[in-house]
Amino acid sequence: MARLLPTVFLIVAALVFPYSVDRIFLHTPIEREMGTAQKIFYFHVPLAWLMMAFAVTSGIAAVVQLRRASVRAEATSLAAAELVLLTGLGVLITGPIWGHATWGHAWTWDARQVTTGLLWLVFAAYVLVRRYGAAGSDRLAAALAIFGAVDVPIIYYAVRIWNTTHPGNRVVATLPAEMWNSLWPALIALTLVSVALLLVRLRQELTDIALDEAWILFNERDGHEQQHS
Amino acid sequence: MSNNTLEPSVAVDPGDEYEPALGLDRATKACVRACEAEAAAKTASDYQHIVWSYGILWALFAVYGVSLWRRANRQRVEMMDLERRLKETP
Amino acid sequence: MRSGSLARQAWILARNDLRQESRDLELVLTAGFFSLVVLVMFGLSFSALDRHAQVLAIPGVLWLAVAFVGALTLTRIFDREREADTLRALLVAPVERQAIYLGKAAVTLLVLVGCNAILVPGLVFLFPAAAPMAERPLETLALVVLGCLAYTSVGTLFAAGLASSSGKNVLLSVILYPLTTPALLLAVVATRALLEGHPLFLTYLGQLAAIDVVTLALSVWLFESVLVGADASARRRSAAGPRR
Repeated sequence: MARLLPTVFLIVAALVFPYSVDRIFLHTPIEREMGTAQKIFYFHVPLAWLMMAFAVTSGIAAVVQLRRASVRAEATSLAAAELVLLTGLGVLITGPIWGHATWGHAWTWDARQVTTGLLWLVFAAYVLVRRYGAAGSDRLAAALAIFGAVDVPIIYYAVRIWNTTHPGNRVVATLPAEMWNSLWPALIALTLVSVALLLVRLRQELTDIALDEAWILFNERDGHEQQHS
Repeated sequence: MSNNTLEPSVAVDPGDEYEPALGLDRATKACVRACEAEAAAKTASDYQHIVWSYGILWALFAVYGVSLWRRANRQRVEMMDLERRLKETP
Repeated sequence: MRSGSLARQAWILARNDLRQESRDLELVLTAGFFSLVVLVMFGLSFSALDRHAQVLAIPGVLWLAVAFVGALTLTRIFDREREADTLRALLVAPVERQAIYLGKAAVTLLVLVGCNAILVPGLVFLFPAAAPMAERPLETLALVVLGCLAYTSVGTLFAAGLASSSGKNVLLSVILYPLTTPALLLAVVATRALLEGHPLFLTYLGQLAAIDVVTLALSVWLFESVLVGADASARRRSAAGPRR
């Protein structure tokens, strides 16, 4: 049953997505100050939320991995980290595109931009350590993920600590109803797709680990037999 | 200087079939057209940005999806390989 | 051993390291010389800046130099351990893990703050806009110590982790810079406030202290897990190695 979950999610997302695009482009009024380019917002913001959510997920999974030596948690942490990289790339590319369209500046060294970029780098380091690190470095990588997850509130409050060009925290809370109604379908579609990808990646990682164990056992048994024959 | 009222500049004879074209004067029209052109250019540029951002997003997700698919294939091959070896050595 | 002697254990370990260091002065000399080199390179790069631009550039110069020297110091400290394989011996000894961390962190902090004794006066000498650092030595000292502490707390954790596996050094750089940058960013902001005489300087210093507490606490908590973890995944990875 759970095996079908990613497929179900993707199908539902495939249905929600046209609806979402229709709403964004045909049924939402053009924002007065920023014009049509503001429509990028409807995908940029959900991606940012997803990025932070996956970062926190990876961090929490890392904690579980360290406390209980859980293989599932280890795999979840890695899968969530890869999703952080994916959604993070989306945020870091659409943000400057939006900035370039609206203000003519792509990268403004704004506090939230910078800390988001740093979060991306931390999780890129995590994935690299998991992939190329030596034998014992899985737990080291978990420590990385935890630090990365702690970075998330810093991003969120960065806008308050430093005065920035980034729209403030209150933008989403004070959106008019029509824009909210366009934000929801985009959020749902993106969440479904990302979670589906996460589940698939998680299962693949668990399979990888299981294959490793199987090969070890096989080689041991093989060597054992060759010794005795 | 600009005349914004919609009044004919030539006297109209009610019985005449001739109807003057009513509208704004030339200076205002030029100004309005310039503004419209600027707005249209901005909208076009905005749409270009939108297309790029959505396009890149899709490309990113597609690339990741393809990488997942390839890994799945590799794992399937390995699994079959392992099964084969297991069958060989009783 | 009961804790409270955690501090004592850390002190003993740190003292050991320092004593070993005092024999050949290798780390101090190389780190110090490296600071000088970095200082000269930055001086050459930015000598043409006008006064206002200098105020913007100097904080970055200072903390980038700290980052580079820090990476070098950490690499060297743990390389020594790895060469002599003393880390494993330490782990077996009846010493609390956190004491190992605190001892190493203390030594690194000492080296880094010591290098700042070269960097800060050097900057004051090279750039006239850095004069406030000389005029307000106490604040500068506090800033330097807090900033270096943030860097050290994170760096020691990961350097130790990489050293205890057969880790590759290149990964240390990959890990270290993104992780320490938020704290270094705060340090840069605070330094600039110091140079400009900004009223919020003490607030920034406070924020830096808060980050120090958070990173230190996190690192102490995680140190044990990161070091001890070699067994299960090691067996799996090394046995399955060439297939990846």
